Amino acid sequence: MSRTGRVRVVALAFGAVFGFFLAWGRLTDPDVIRRMLLLQDAYLYLMLGSAVAVGFVGVRLLRARGTNALLTGEPVGWRTARPTGRHVGGAVLFGLGWAVANTCPGPVVAQVSTGVWWSGFTFAGVVLGIKLYALRHAPRVAAAGTVRAAPQDGPLPSSLELPATYQMAASVSGSKK
Amino acid sequence: VHLAEQAPWWIVGPVFGLVVVGLVATLNERIGIVGGFTDALEGRLGWKLCFVLGLAAGALVYALAGGGFGHAGYGWLTRTFTGSARILVAPILLGAGALIGYGAKTAGGCTSGNGLGGTCLGSPASFVATATFMGTAITAAFVLRWLGAV
Repeated sequence: MSRTGRVRVVALAFGAVFGFFLAWGRLTDPDVIRRMLLLQDAYLYLMLGSAVAVGFVGVRLLRARGTNALLTGEPVGWRTARPTGRHVGGAVLFGLGWAVANTCPGPVVAQVSTGVWWSGFTFAGVVLGIKLYALRHAPRVAAAGTVRAAPQDGPLPSSLELPATYQMAASVSGSKK
Repeated sequence: VHLAEQAPWWIVGPVFGLVVVGLVATLNERIGIVGGFTDALEGRLGWKLCFVLGLAAGALVYALAGGGFGHAGYGWLTRTFTGSARILVAPILLGAGALIGYGAKTAGGCTSGNGLGGTCLGSPASFVATATFMGTAITAAFVLRWLGAV
């Protein structure tokens, strides 16, 4: 199997584990999320806290050992970003949507695949929101009129491709991504 | 092991943490869901889209293995908007979804990308984003209840 193929299979497998436990943890139930937000149930805070504790320690152990990523071969490392206005502004919009729909992008996928049919509307909304973002942040090459030709073999601008965290190399820890 | 009951947090949490570690160990990548949506919209079968497809399949396996499928109602929305008002739930969910999608793209991640992935990597921006969407959502949930959400 090609490396691309192996990467896809591994991502699929990790996604399946994530989805299985996401559904088993009942994060697909809007009332589970609502009880957390109304501070009636500590489940999700404990769950997220223990997840971050395990992940935080785990990735640091990998980096400290100087491990290379198994499939890509690059040394394990990452960049972090300093907070800016968009992290706050975007998170406010996200939080409002979260409080109303009591779901977020991962659970909404699991809801749709497990037959919570109301979530079809939420799913469509998420797609719409992402499209609106892409439209607003599309390269303004044509509009500006200063650049005549579009890039030849058009990879999309990195702002659409990379998680925003990676775009702003405010501080670099470990090896560069 | 009871698939019909919610798995304890001390199982789900560490499994999620191990998924974060696993993605770093194999692909040197940060977990995230919105990136998979973006991959799909741009017609690219990247690892993020594969992860999201796996997520859908994993949840389906859980439902088939005994977890059961979703029922007709949807939380406070279908309890609050009843009778002919129920039709309002559709545009409300659509609008909320749009806020979630647009907001997550702007903030550089969702509950998974910022709340789980970015915090595990110790990214200050992710801590700020997570604290902000948590605080906003908690406040908004109380306001909604005060406004009459059941």
